[in-house]
Amino acid sequence: MNAKDYYTEHRRLVLGVFSVIFLVAAWELLLTYVFPVNPFFFTKPSLIAEAFKEQVQGAKLWHDLAISSRAFLWGFSFAVIVGIPLGLVMGWRRRVEYALDPFLTAMYASPLVALAPLLIIVFGVGVLGKAALVFLLSVFPFVFNVFAGVKSTDALLINVIRSFGGTDKDLYFKVILPSTMPYLIAGARLAIGRGLVGIIVGEFYAASEGIGFAISQAGDTYRLPDMFVGIIILSVIAVVLTEAMRRLELTVAPWRAGEEVR
Amino acid sequence: MRRPLAKMPPFIRANDITLVFKSKNRDPVTALNNLSFEIERGEFVSIVGPSGCGKSTFLNMLLGLVRPDSGHMQMNGTPIKGPGQERAMVFQEFGLLPWRTVTANVELGLELKGVAAAQRTQRAMELIKLVGLNGFERHYPHELSGGMKQRVGLARALATEPEVLLMDEPFAALDAQTRDLMQAELLQIWERTKKTVLFVTHSIEEAAYLSDRVIVMTARPGRTKQIIDINLPRPRDYEMRLTPEFNEIKSRIWEVLKEELIPGSRR
Repeated sequence: MNAKDYYTEHRRLVLGVFSVIFLVAAWELLLTYVFPVNPFFFTKPSLIAEAFKEQVQGAKLWHDLAISSRAFLWGFSFAVIVGIPLGLVMGWRRRVEYALDPFLTAMYASPLVALAPLLIIVFGVGVLGKAALVFLLSVFPFVFNVFAGVKSTDALLINVIRSFGGTDKDLYFKVILPSTMPYLIAGARLAIGRGLVGIIVGEFYAASEGIGFAISQAGDTYRLPDMFVGIIILSVIAVVLTEAMRRLELTVAPWRAGEEVR
Repeated sequence: MRRPLAKMPPFIRANDITLVFKSKNRDPVTALNNLSFEIERGEFVSIVGPSGCGKSTFLNMLLGLVRPDSGHMQMNGTPIKGPGQERAMVFQEFGLLPWRTVTANVELGLELKGVAAAQRTQRAMELIKLVGLNGFERHYPHELSGGMKQRVGLARALATEPEVLLMDEPFAALDAQTRDLMQAELLQIWERTKKTVLFVTHSIEEAAYLSDRVIVMTARPGRTKQIIDINLPRPRDYEMRLTPEFNEIKSRIWEVLKEELIPGSRR
């Protein structure tokens, strides 16, 4: 296969890689030759790479990551445990929907990070406060997406189950849950993004360790390359997790391949 | 004086069925009004009628998903009070579970009735073969054509070994050629399995081709307008549909139905 064929076949990959290389190179060259600003105020890829190498070899980065992950996992797990059943019940029981809807809608629409100070006061500076913030931010996408999934369950399929004498339990496990699956995963994707915001805001606001704290501290002390290392690591984590969810969706809901759920 | 022996009750009997749809902010709509008829075991009976005359609703009643406001429905002498193993429905829009393979979809009814897994699969395999889907056992519905999906729907309904097959415009969503093919196959399967079939359709041609009797319903509120016997020999094939006798029957059904379809022509 020659280069041209390779290009036509993998156009998406080739163009993507090229645009990233181009951007990084442009940034580097611009700051080296065109605007040689003081590295105190802005930084460039080569310096970030150096800082990255240093941090990866040290222990602090790994410690910070472990700290942040722990808070994230706690908060996110609780969001799953609370959000999914809540969404299911809301979707299935009209009275529960009507009772909870105003409250949940308001909470979902508001910038909940504004509650960060309160949560830190109530739950403390440690894992608990940050986990609470992650929970609060990531629980709503689960509730609303599972709710939407239950609501969009095909009434015909419910009739099919009923016509064969299926029970309510059969309805839940054989129709409602599987048809909600794609919505649930789309919700998880949103929740991951919001949960990461929670962790970072929590650590910006009050913390003595963690990746958010490391970013904010690097900023405060004008160590821009170190700050960018944190930011890049975060975005890599976000991309990996979101992509994993997309893959999961294709496995759990192969019939929806090609239909994009956002 | 000796009384004559009690007549055997008909296999399926609908007596004076009335159903009224009530909804808020709207006047109640009488969907079915004093609908009555009887069906014998092994018969193939079609129901035709104008849109909205309640034919599908009536099928859902026989299935046990909708209760009439008044009147009685009996099968084998016992009242129909809810879904039951002796009745199964083939739905117009197939109603397949998209996350299940062909085999798992065919097994659904058996699974809900608590049949053991090994037995289910064996039964599913037999039916998949009967409807000609061998080789597609592990496919998902989205990988199948409309005709194939309805074969799965038919296999699923037959899997629980019902005595009655209720079919709600099962071929309406298919293209004309697939429909012809499916009609012929349904007849073959019916002749082999000896089920009683109640078939709702919009197509006079389809009703005449498949049935022993055609029930023509009135416009809403629906009741039996006339029952037409189709005395055409069986087995029937596509060529039969080109004969004058067949066309004569079609026009008889049309004459009856026309009065309901065209406002003002009712005598």
